[in-house]
Amino acid sequence: MISPATDIVITGLGTVTAAGGGVEPLLELLRSGGTALTPVPPEVAGGEGYCWGKAHGFRATDYLPPLKARKMDRCSQFGVAAAGMALKDAGIVPREMDPQRIGIALGCGFGGVANSAEFLTGYFSGGVEGLSPMLFPNTVPNASASNVSIEYGLKGPNVTLVQRFCSAESAFLMACRFIAEGRADVMLTGGADELLPLMIEGFAATGQVRRHASCFGEGSSILVLESAHHAARRGAGARGAVLSVATIGMLVAGREEEGVERLLARSAAEASLISIGGTVRETPLLGDRLHGRRTIDTAGCLGRSLAMGGTAMAALLASLEPEETGLHLAASPEGPYYAIRFRGDASVHP
Amino acid sequence: MNSGRVVITGIGLFCGSGRNLAEFGEALMNSTCGIGPLDLFDVSAFPARIGCQVRGYDPLDYFDRRTAAKLSRADQFGLIAAGEALNESGVAGCCSPYDMGISMGAGAGGMFQAEQWLRSRLAGEAASPLLLRGMLPDKTATEIAARFNLAGYQGSVTTACSSSATAIGWGAELVAAGHQKVVLAGGSDALSLLTFAGFNALRVVDPEPCSPFSLGRQGITLGEGAAFLVLEDEEHARRRGANIHGAVLGYALAGEGFHMTAPEPGGVTAARVMREAMERSGVTPDEVGWINAHGTGTPLNDVVESNAVKLVFGDRAPLVPLVSTKAMTGHCLGAAAAVEAVATLIALQRRIIPPTLNFRGRDPECDLEYCHEGPRPCDSRVALSNSFAFGGNITSLVLSL
Repeated sequence: MISPATDIVITGLGTVTAAGGGVEPLLELLRSGGTALTPVPPEVAGGEGYCWGKAHGFRATDYLPPLKARKMDRCSQFGVAAAGMALKDAGIVPREMDPQRIGIALGCGFGGVANSAEFLTGYFSGGVEGLSPMLFPNTVPNASASNVSIEYGLKGPNVTLVQRFCSAESAFLMACRFIAEGRADVMLTGGADELLPLMIEGFAATGQVRRHASCFGEGSSILVLESAHHAARRGAGARGAVLSVATIGMLVAGREEEGVERLLARSAAEASLISIGGTVRETPLLGDRLHGRRTIDTAGCLGRSLAMGGTAMAALLASLEPEETGLHLAASPEGPYYAIRFRGDASVHP
Repeated sequence: MNSGRVVITGIGLFCGSGRNLAEFGEALMNSTCGIGPLDLFDVSAFPARIGCQVRGYDPLDYFDRRTAAKLSRADQFGLIAAGEALNESGVAGCCSPYDMGISMGAGAGGMFQAEQWLRSRLAGEAASPLLLRGMLPDKTATEIAARFNLAGYQGSVTTACSSSATAIGWGAELVAAGHQKVVLAGGSDALSLLTFAGFNALRVVDPEPCSPFSLGRQGITLGEGAAFLVLEDEEHARRRGANIHGAVLGYALAGEGFHMTAPEPGGVTAARVMREAMERSGVTPDEVGWINAHGTGTPLNDVVESNAVKLVFGDRAPLVPLVSTKAMTGHCLGAAAAVEAVATLIALQRRIIPPTLNFRGRDPECDLEYCHEGPRPCDSRVALSNSFAFGGNITSLVLSL
């Protein structure tokens, strides 16, 4: 399916990754060809030679009062920090606009896992007496988006999605539709994920650290989507515009070419810069199209996660020249697949 | 862009109150409560020891041993209900697989299996890695898409208790916008120690079967299951001679932005969402015959929801019954709204308003009509279905014949 988006611009970006807080450290890392990956302790991964993109430098209290930060799980802290940066970048103070017209659609793969593990560990170790009620509310995957909405007073559409390595892209599609349908003027979208040693143990147990889960990462990247009309009315500059969002759920055996054609049409040929999410390189019919193309691969230096498509899209938008067309491609081993086209805007933030 | 209504051409359901649509319909018409003792895991340490479990469930009745081992309990429930819905709709082969998608709501997903892995690890015992395969809730949609060749949109909404309401509304939107010809929409969730212990730790589980809107209610009763609707454009459905069960007229959603667990006391956002859902559906409040409530049975939720209904319907509020089928099915979390959408559709078809079971006495703060006395006849063709969730996620669906 293809959803054209003719009236949606991106007016703000915010990121928290292993590269640091903000888009600039991310771009600098990409420009330098360096890496923010660090070794996973061998006792965690079950062997030497594995890396992860832990946001070691992140301190929630740089973005939140300590008392508030303590009430949130780390994934929510990432989301709240990235959302705050993105709103500031967009020049939006939510409480100064109609709160019902601003919402959030967030991809979140591993949000809630840390609190779930700690909560259950309390029970398995100490029975009912070991249960900590404070942990339970943040075991849900929508904790990050909800904490963002509580922190910034967003009362518009609020939704969290997960779909393999395309979780942030799934949220992006929905955010675009909400603006197109007139459900909101502004939507925060992107992804948030947390990585903890227990998850690496789990990936190791299932053989995933040698496959798709090698070099997992964490963090959050938020894009501020806005109807072009709304952005123009408040005199906001745009980092870019959304041209279309295409997705298919899976490639049907024997009809793979048809699926890829529906996904890409001519968009891959038109794009002068392509960002890559999930397992695109390992998907033959998609990976083949990348030969000789300018690409951005944030997973290579930050690690991969289910909702890190937000980071890839933020890096793409921040790298596009005015009027340049960019494509974000994302794939999961069993689907879904996304192709999101952007245009770098002429009226970029100073 | 399609111009017609988004209609429902197939329904599938699998839960503690019925293992298929016919069984569930019979339970609904007979006002049979499916809540009873839990034996899925040890609940002896908790004050509440009941739930609406799919008791005596044997995966081998539905899957071969090898397949069952790869699927979480939630995956299995989802596949069973999705299969019933798609089979009943007869939609397979009517269009390209790339025009058929899945939009589902999920909750704890494969947590029931994953927590067994964690328990073994903490005890220093060997645990099968297969227990982790379906831990994330999106796996169910992937499994269903692969099994039934749905190669279009694939997405899982994870907003706790409102997940499947949003998934159904979103699925209908994809059809209405012409992005998909067919969307399988619904939800699946399974009981887990995490959710059972969690709600008990928050002291919001009633030791007796939940009694929404009643005096002395103490909280929820957990349930599990899956339900799916096959959604398609009305013209497409009629052209292929499909049986039409009803329609999803529209939906609305919002975040309260208030508190992670407590609802906004005045119910202002909930009221706004109900109003917007009706407006987007082209329905006036006078056309709505009744509401399938979120109706968890917690002291706070039921008062707030009653207040929100008063804000929306004004003087007419006492004439619009607010009923909770959770007293029959338990709270199925990520699948709750899908199960309730099916209950609503059955009731609309049978021209009844289902009762709110387990009445304990009238609460002066819940002073609307809740049909505690039993089902009542109703000619209305339109009903709302509300879902509220942790984090303040609210969704309201408008369903009709």
